Amino acid sequence: MGLFTRTTETAPCTVEIVHKFEELSAHVRLDNGAVIHPGDSVLVHGAPVMAPWGETVVEQRTATITRASAIERAWTRLTGDLEFMELCEFSFSEEATLRHGEARA
Amino acid sequence: MNVQTPHSADATTVEEGLARVEAQAEAPFDSKAATDLAMQNTLLTPRFYTTDFDELDAIDVTPVRADWDKLIDQMRSDPNKGHFKKNADWDQIDWEGMEPELKAEFIDFLVSSCTAEFSGCVLYKEMKRRGTNADIKELFSYMSRDEARHAGFINDALREAGVAVNLGFLTREKKYTYFRPKFIYYATYLSEKIGYARYITIYRHLEKNPEHRFHPIFKWFKEWCNDEFSHGEAFALLMKTDPKITESLTSRLWIRFFLTAVYSTMWVRDHARPRFHEALGVDIDWYDQEVFRKTSEIARQIFPVELDIDHPAWRKNLDRMNAAFLAMDRARAQGGVGGWFGRMTAGARAARAFAGLYLIPVKRNEVPDHPRLEPAY
Repeated sequence: MGLFTRTTETAPCTVEIVHKFEELSAHVRLDNGAVIHPGDSVLVHGAPVMAPWGETVVEQRTATITRASAIERAWTRLTGDLEFMELCEFSFSEEATLRHGEARA
Repeated sequence: MNVQTPHSADATTVEEGLARVEAQAEAPFDSKAATDLAMQNTLLTPRFYTTDFDELDAIDVTPVRADWDKLIDQMRSDPNKGHFKKNADWDQIDWEGMEPELKAEFIDFLVSSCTAEFSGCVLYKEMKRRGTNADIKELFSYMSRDEARHAGFINDALREAGVAVNLGFLTREKKYTYFRPKFIYYATYLSEKIGYARYITIYRHLEKNPEHRFHPIFKWFKEWCNDEFSHGEAFALLMKTDPKITESLTSRLWIRFFLTAVYSTMWVRDHARPRFHEALGVDIDWYDQEVFRKTSEIARQIFPVELDIDHPAWRKNLDRMNAAFLAMDRARAQGGVGGWFGRMTAGARAARAFAGLYLIPVKRNEVPDHPRLEPAY
């Protein structure tokens, strides 16, 4: 890991989606035990995955992990905490005014 | 949506509804066709977190073992397993006939609730997967289960409204942000407890005013929020394992910060949904203050400080905060140099309002030795 440079690596991964009445969930697991650190990015290759209604889909894919530079990692450790608001139910839209009638895409 | 598979919610009798649920289960192609139809697409955008997993693993629940085991036993027995099912109480909704502004706000409410459950599910599952501490792993597996169940239930209500969730985030580049364990406790504890207070306050209000119950999902809120309540209990116990997490000076300042940030965000967000609250027959100012009051009372179980929500500067600065955010939206829409300047000014106004709220003297609270509570509202 360089101070300013990013490195990339690939890893096999498993994507699991449950799209049922009794459960909606989606998880990506890196199968080679690679550990994600603050500021790293993960990109799962291939077409978007979606399970049809009522089904579970498990797919093996490849992921590219972009490792954050040392500076980015330190910065994410310092500032990441401030993004906690995302966990609250009422805080997802950025706008304080809802735009009526517009499709959210 | 002209060839949609008959949805169970369109059934006129319970038997017919059940038959349709079964038919749907047996006919994946038909239901897939229904999903692929021109439903309005809404992209879920959960956040991805990483934390200090070694620190999380080092937690020792021995000091709260008796309370912990009781709570975990209760979660293991899964009391709400049968609750999230549609039955005869699930009334049919005329989505087409719903007033467009109300529909937009209500769908926004469902989508944001679904995303929050979903984010919680992702976070908890990750904590379960990365951990080696058996107590922690078991706790997070139950919480992840509950959140996925809630997300599924809301997702079904969205499908009825013709809104399909899009999980496109899975194959987009995801940046992992960092959240230190202590902050995960504060934030998730608060979000679970405030979630409980929000749901139960609406539920009790609609019990008294059933004519305002414009969607059946509200009937499910009572048992639903008991899940949120017990998740909050688990975090209270986790914080109780080490006095430093809540009692040190910096911890107290952080708790005060989290309380102020969560309460003021809720105020701004709720005021963005006037038609939704009007349809529920709820005065937003009253509702939010009521939720703050319940949350603050519950949080006495673990937080040594409590915000003074009856202080004269409290409401004044909340209103300032809301005005600043509205100005921010207008400036963003305006764009250009004027818009940039407007955004900066609005940002400064919001920061000032936040400082005004943060600096209101807090009430000190003697935390009990045993934090455990039962839902009582």
